[in-house]
Amino acid sequence: MNLPLQPQLTKRFAVKNGHTLKVYLETGGYGSLHNLFALQPEQVVEEVKASGLKGRGGAGFLTGMKWSFVPKNTGKNIYLAVNADEGEPGTFTDRYILTYDPHLLLEGILCACYAVRSHKAYIYVRGEFYDQIQILRKAVADAVEAGYLGENIQGSGFDLDVVVHRGAGAYICGEETGLIESLEGKKGMPRIKPPFPAVQGLFNCPTIVNNVKTLASVPWIIEHGAKAYAEIGTPDSAGTHLFGLSGHVNQTGYWELPFGMPMMEFLETYGKGVKGGELKAVFPGGSSCPVLTAKECESVTLCYKSMTEHGTMFGTGCVTVLNEHTDMVRILKSLTHFYAYESCGQCTPCREGTAWEDRLLKKIIAGEATTKDLDLMLEVADNMEGKTICVLSAACSMPLRSIIQKFRGEFEKYLKKSVVVVPGTVS
Amino acid sequence: MVKITVNGKEMEVPEGTNVLDAALNNGIHVEHFCYHRYLPVAGNCRTCMVEIKTPKGRQLVIGCNTHVTEGMVVYTNSENSKKAQKSALEMLLLDHPLDCPICDKAGECKLQDQYMQDGQYDFRRSVPRYFKGGKAEDIGEHIVLDQERCILCTRCIRFVDEVPKTSELCIVNRGHEAKLTIFPGRRLDNPYSGNVTDICPVGALTLKDFRFKQRVWFLKKTESVCPGCSRGCNISVEQNHGHLFRFMPRENASLNKTWICDEGRFSFKKYQTNRLETVRLGHKTTSLQEGITQLAEILAGMGKDEVAGIASPFASLEDNYLFQKLFEKKFNLANLAAPIWTPKGSSDHILRLAEKYPNEQGLNLLGITTKAETLLEKIEKGAFKAVIVMEQDPFGENPEQAKKVYGKVKALVVLSTHATETAKQAAMAFPMRPFTEKAGTFVNAAGHLQRFKLAVEPENPDLVESSRWISKLARALELNGFDYEDTPMIFNALAKENGKLEGLTFDSISPAGKQLDLKPASPEPFQGIQAQPNVFEVKP
Repeated sequence: MNLPLQPQLTKRFAVKNGHTLKVYLETGGYGSLHNLFALQPEQVVEEVKASGLKGRGGAGFLTGMKWSFVPKNTGKNIYLAVNADEGEPGTFTDRYILTYDPHLLLEGILCACYAVRSHKAYIYVRGEFYDQIQILRKAVADAVEAGYLGENIQGSGFDLDVVVHRGAGAYICGEETGLIESLEGKKGMPRIKPPFPAVQGLFNCPTIVNNVKTLASVPWIIEHGAKAYAEIGTPDSAGTHLFGLSGHVNQTGYWELPFGMPMMEFLETYGKGVKGGELKAVFPGGSSCPVLTAKECESVTLCYKSMTEHGTMFGTGCVTVLNEHTDMVRILKSLTHFYAYESCGQCTPCREGTAWEDRLLKKIIAGEATTKDLDLMLEVADNMEGKTICVLSAACSMPLRSIIQKFRGEFEKYLKKSVVVVPGTVS
Repeated sequence: MVKITVNGKEMEVPEGTNVLDAALNNGIHVEHFCYHRYLPVAGNCRTCMVEIKTPKGRQLVIGCNTHVTEGMVVYTNSENSKKAQKSALEMLLLDHPLDCPICDKAGECKLQDQYMQDGQYDFRRSVPRYFKGGKAEDIGEHIVLDQERCILCTRCIRFVDEVPKTSELCIVNRGHEAKLTIFPGRRLDNPYSGNVTDICPVGALTLKDFRFKQRVWFLKKTESVCPGCSRGCNISVEQNHGHLFRFMPRENASLNKTWICDEGRFSFKKYQTNRLETVRLGHKTTSLQEGITQLAEILAGMGKDEVAGIASPFASLEDNYLFQKLFEKKFNLANLAAPIWTPKGSSDHILRLAEKYPNEQGLNLLGITTKAETLLEKIEKGAFKAVIVMEQDPFGENPEQAKKVYGKVKALVVLSTHATETAKQAAMAFPMRPFTEKAGTFVNAAGHLQRFKLAVEPENPDLVESSRWISKLARALELNGFDYEDTPMIFNALAKENGKLEGLTFDSISPAGKQLDLKPASPEPFQGIQAQPNVFEVKP
């Protein structure tokens, strides 16, 4: 494993006043600008493509590729929307970048906007991040004053206006088109695709939506080159990532690591071992990922490819650990309730399906359910997944199916012992 | 045109069509709830799931938001697509009340229809029902909302956003608690509000006026044209045992799409009230035959220039044509005109036009002038002994002027559908059939010829069409050439004479009508339904 020579995302986390422009500049901030403005926008896109940087929001789509989808010469404005609506259960790393190094994000925004020829960026911040919003607003004001944002940035002739927008705390606004709707002042409901946001997004203009960590990784790439970045991590998952760790571990927290560390090593080295018993299961990247059993954790590594091979997703890279005493039924109930509550209610399978699953689980926990209900849950999960506008229904059904399949025994303990069928009643 | 294959059947469809429309237009039924041809695509009901062949294998997509591409292969009834369609239906019905027998939408409910076709007949909810609330919420002058029946397809919301652009409706709350409502302080009473009940695929939005009045499967539908204004929206007249229950819009892509205004929708009531029932001669009521015989005797004794005729933009083309023919053969054509006294009414840029009569252009087509000042002056001066007023109500529309003009006329003969003021003032009044009780044609403001059919056959034998009345009178006056058996025959005779109708017969007029080469009568250009920038346009 090749550790990075220098931290990319967490460089200033331990530096006093790292969030201020003064300290940011002292520690090499806005260092990518010299390289950036020397390149043509298309070259920046190519550079990011070559680095192999993947979107850190959960889907893991190649960032450079996404940028290249922006149609040229449409005469419309091009927008960058920064997704700082970090709402995935168990995920908590974007907020530290916003807290400790807001200028790194701004520098990333500058690089991205230059690459896609956008002159307006919106940072959509989760409503609960009150402090972070204050920090970001101050950072934007400082950067404008110092000429790192605004008109004719550092004499390059490039203009960029950054707006910090506070969301109202809906999970679905973290979905890119839901975020766009919300930014437009509407109810946060994902849009039907096509058209994709890169073609027709915010205010019907081409829009790129990127995650905070994705953008925060860009300045390093511009400064040190795509080749250097691609060398870090694994062949399919380049670079470093800000991993989070929570749940039943002796030490929770967040660490910047290159991709490719084995899961167990991560838990042992950084989590100092599982707390309160043996390892039972792990959500590798937020609650929307299919769960991994202790056995699967032994072979999985923290990168996109290995996660996919193990039937789950890299997700947000924030690992949630569950020990042997955890009741998987109640874990699932808690998750399903969350998704039922956060479903926007637009598509039938998600609106009805999530609530149905939630009610079925309530029935299971009440000890009134039968095997039939358990099978019904799996089938409803099948009917929800991939049949809706956005992936919220899949985010509910994937962990649900994996938990029921991998821990079916626990569910069966909750079922009614004997079933008396009274003729003429509906089960 | 693009070649595609749906369920193994090859077809050519216009470019830009979506897969759902392509299938529907070619007789392959795919159930859908939220999709409406004349509204933007929402794609939220997830019922029109079909499979598309891609290099990566078959892919499930929604038909309504997938545009056809050359060589596309679509499966609408493959195992996967059927499963998706059925599961969407199951989800829609999860908390939906299963009380079709007492729901007013039963019989024309899409949810019910699809359940009969695709239902699983194995109710699997197995948890208590979630009650969404509110029965019969009063949300507007004409509309009632049954909250628990709503499937949140948002058709009504898109309609009020896109057509009247009044945006009274919205969905509040998230997830399964989402529900349709009106914005606080608003009411759903725009002039087109009734349409939301037509496009509602379930029994959530119903008309106060129609609900629980009649089961829809008893209704007989007749192709017709709204006479409420000179737009000529296509409607279907729905009646049972001669009793009119409602006017529904009938699709016409270029005229009214699938909309009608509330004014037109509720106008059916006026054809059942205040009707003129009997033939009246002076103070006596008599039979039609007797009335015509007596009138013919009176008219026979008058000179060619002693009788004037008032034709009407309310009457059909055939009525006016025979009226014209009567004057040509018996009296003087110069003494026939159609003064229009009807005041301008409500209008907008959507459907409603200010000219509240259906057939002004029909008069133009026949060459009957609407500039009747000279004729009216002559009538006023007492130049005519008899004046025949056909389907007009001058005394109701402009009493003072009417008294001045018609005051000296000895024999004021009035043909009227309703017991109007004019019918009361008349020396002789004959009851006529309104458009619901006869067949005929109207020409709308844009010169679009449209046909309406007989919906209700009245029991009263004295109730005849104006054209038949004229034929009877002509025969009583011993004129030749009035031997018409029915309205189509009259139209066909007219079409042979009139160059603008060349080659047409009554039966060959398409249900969508026929554009004639006429100059619009109204000075304002005819705009049609204004192209909405956000409306998803389907090219016919």
